[in-house]
Amino acid sequence: MKKKPPVNPMDRHRISGSFFVFSMIFFYAPLLILIIFSFNEGKSMTFTGFSLRWYKELFFNSAKLWGSFGNTVIIALVSALVSTIIGTLGAIGLYWYNFKLKKYLQVVSYLPIILPEIIIGVSMLMFFASINLPLGLATIIIAHITFNIPYVLLIVMARLSEFDYSIIEAAYDLGAKEIDTLLKVIIPMSIPGIISGFLVAITLSIDDFVITFFVTGPGASTLPLHIYSMLRFGLSPVINSLSVILIVGSLVFALTSKRMFRHMFN
Amino acid sequence: MMKNYGQRYTLPLLLWITVFFVIPFSIIFVGSFLKKGLYGGFELQFSLDAYTSLFSNTMRKVSINTIIISVITTIVTVLLALPTAYYMARSRYKETLLFLVIIPFWTNFLIRIFAWIAILGNNGLVNNFLINAGLLNAPVQLLYNRWAVILIMIYTSLPFAILPLYSTIEKFDFSLLEAARDLGATKPQSVYKVLIPIIIPGITTAVLFTFIPAFGNFAIPDIVGGTDIRMLGNIINEKLKTARNWPSASSISVVLTIMTTGAVILFTRLTAPKRAAQVKEES
Amino acid sequence: MKKMLILSLMAVLMALFASTVSAEDKLYIYNWTYYTPDEVIKGFEEKFNVKVVYDEFASNEEMFAKLKAGGTGYDITFPSADYTAIMIKEGMLEKIDKSKIPNFKNIDPELIKTITYDKNCEYSVPYMKGASGVAVNKKYVKNYTKDMSVYLKPELKGRMTLLDDMREVMGFALKANGFSVNTINPAELKKAKELVMQWRANILKFDAESFGKGFASGEFWVVQGYEENILSELEDAAKKDTDFFIPSTGGPCYIDSMVIMKDSKNKDLALKFINYIHEPAQYAKFVDKFGFPSINVPARKLRTGKPVYTEEDLKKCELKLDLGENLELYNKIWEEIKNE
Repeated sequence: MKKKPPVNPMDRHRISGSFFVFSMIFFYAPLLILIIFSFNEGKSMTFTGFSLRWYKELFFNSAKLWGSFGNTVIIALVSALVSTIIGTLGAIGLYWYNFKLKKYLQVVSYLPIILPEIIIGVSMLMFFASINLPLGLATIIIAHITFNIPYVLLIVMARLSEFDYSIIEAAYDLGAKEIDTLLKVIIPMSIPGIISGFLVAITLSIDDFVITFFVTGPGASTLPLHIYSMLRFGLSPVINSLSVILIVGSLVFALTSKRMFRHMFN
Repeated sequence: MMKNYGQRYTLPLLLWITVFFVIPFSIIFVGSFLKKGLYGGFELQFSLDAYTSLFSNTMRKVSINTIIISVITTIVTVLLALPTAYYMARSRYKETLLFLVIIPFWTNFLIRIFAWIAILGNNGLVNNFLINAGLLNAPVQLLYNRWAVILIMIYTSLPFAILPLYSTIEKFDFSLLEAARDLGATKPQSVYKVLIPIIIPGITTAVLFTFIPAFGNFAIPDIVGGTDIRMLGNIINEKLKTARNWPSASSISVVLTIMTTGAVILFTRLTAPKRAAQVKEES
Repeated sequence: MKKMLILSLMAVLMALFASTVSAEDKLYIYNWTYYTPDEVIKGFEEKFNVKVVYDEFASNEEMFAKLKAGGTGYDITFPSADYTAIMIKEGMLEKIDKSKIPNFKNIDPELIKTITYDKNCEYSVPYMKGASGVAVNKKYVKNYTKDMSVYLKPELKGRMTLLDDMREVMGFALKANGFSVNTINPAELKKAKELVMQWRANILKFDAESFGKGFASGEFWVVQGYEENILSELEDAAKKDTDFFIPSTGGPCYIDSMVIMKDSKNKDLALKFINYIHEPAQYAKFVDKFGFPSINVPARKLRTGKPVYTEEDLKKCELKLDLGENLELYNKIWEEIKNE
């Protein structure tokens, strides 16, 4: 049989490529607005002139905003980490094994996505109050872990569905212990799923407002809470500046750390 | 010999969800059968008021609205997400693209919506551009209707549909597609009959991640929905805060949960019979 | 990976520890956003050598839902009149020892007489009396009268908003018909509802959060809202084109009060704060910042600016009171308004 000549991989993907470009434009268009208006002289949505006024305000006059931002970052990282661990292990258990309570777990683990946020917020607050758990960063982190878990679960399980189980069987046949199989076979092969789950968890946590509003304690403000409270009163151009810094920082990180990813993933 | 580690793997999950979710949810479930406190909260008295009040015109109208918006959003989002995730999974720069897709969503949700209002609003960029170019005399109201809600929902759900699809497609062995081509299949046929069935779990996940948040959403209809578009999430909010009727907010949530869970179980069963066969054979 | 885990655990422990440091020298305030100017707070912190932790909410409803569900830790909060009454009935408030608040005498005695929801101010000290109104963008809106008829103008269709607040909207409709904002007469409520439905046909949306932004950006030309939210979004030039008025037919008004929570851990400091607010110099700073009318009599002479609306304007407004069980009547109508 004649071998087909090698095709430039990107040629094959003209259709999907154009969908990708469309998505990128869709995602980044509002960001362009943000960036432009962060340099706006005035407060309103008409561009009156170029100015670094809001950046100055951001760096010299926004202690509370940075405090909220710091809280948000801590909460996001911790809750994403813990929920990824719990979710990944849970996905492995649920996908390959049958055991008592499996049906209960399957239904119950997905409920946090289904239940409306305000109900989750109020009920968790009532629960925390009934056990006298002081409200604050800890309760926010607990709540965030809880609603992140189903997302990680689903993503990792979808990934596991393509696993060639014979590799794992082979590992056992060769005498490997479970912990080694886990660390050296299962997890490495699931990394894109685990990373996707982790990223989803961070994204959800950074943006959560309703649940956080109810379970937060005095003094523990997060970025969404802060922004929401400013909604009625404006001064939002400072937020634009913060968003721009955040985006630019993350983009720089993403684009320059390709080597780091390769190292992490391989 | 496969030892049953199932319980060990799922122990943290079991403990966490039971303590921090099932217990709070039980409070809501029980609360839905209680009487409304005068100023909110629950009165310890049995009452089915919260459930009988579900059969009203308002609830019917809002439920239908919610279902329609959620279904349209889900279909369009997943259709957009599939080719996008496919392209990402096959690219040399896949990890970078993954980050590029997610980073816009690390800016705050409210800020992004207001940026869309700045673009699509009556006094926004699109309208002003068209008026200045002489194509319009007066602004066209693009927002504050059902389509604005759907558009913004697609916008906010798309990354959550792309990520699970990416994760599943990335693992796919693409030489299978080439093999299908060699055996005479056309490109669409090979995609439809080889790729799609294997990434069904990713598609299911993308559908769930889009449909469920859309179904319970309140913020987006609130901000860009205008006067006519109200969804179940708005009703629940109002019951809880304005009307201070906690049992009613609870009963709507309970019914919403049961219906959504039922739909999820149904959908998962319909799309994954093949997987069950695979696992049985292997064990 | 392990290092990240350990680092994050340490960060969490530090954060948890920091948030539980002793409450002796801290005052926890739960207030409307920006309602008390930073300089007043800083002045208090310096004078008494304490720290003020300031959390914010945007509506009585969400503040109450949170406190009712168990949100503890606050010393002082600022409910409006109807919610003050509710919180008293629910036993959430501590009695206020007025002997520790000598500046209480600065408050307008005429105002105190109208406080029927808390006779003799046993549980609350008034902070501010105000009302929502209508803001009109004069660049686009000509030929209007300063009342709610502007909401019936067909040429303004799709460029107006009303507050997403049941009592406020119904209040204006009831007053426009000459009824009380606290009525429970079904016929009167029905007439008010009809008027609101006529308004609803012309508005773009009900908006209680971003009406100020929308007005400032030119998205909305007529909004119902609070002057402090609207005017703070505008540059000085734009303020000249803006007309804010309380409709001549009147509307609901509110009294926001300072209350001390029953589970407050720092009641003495809370009393000191309440007293400090009503020092005339401090209160003048507050009303100057927002253009509010002043309920503190000596402060009226100390303020440097003019209020956007005056104590006179407020005379045509009626205080929103708690309706108790009769709130259901309003709930039903509001649901119908929103869903038809």
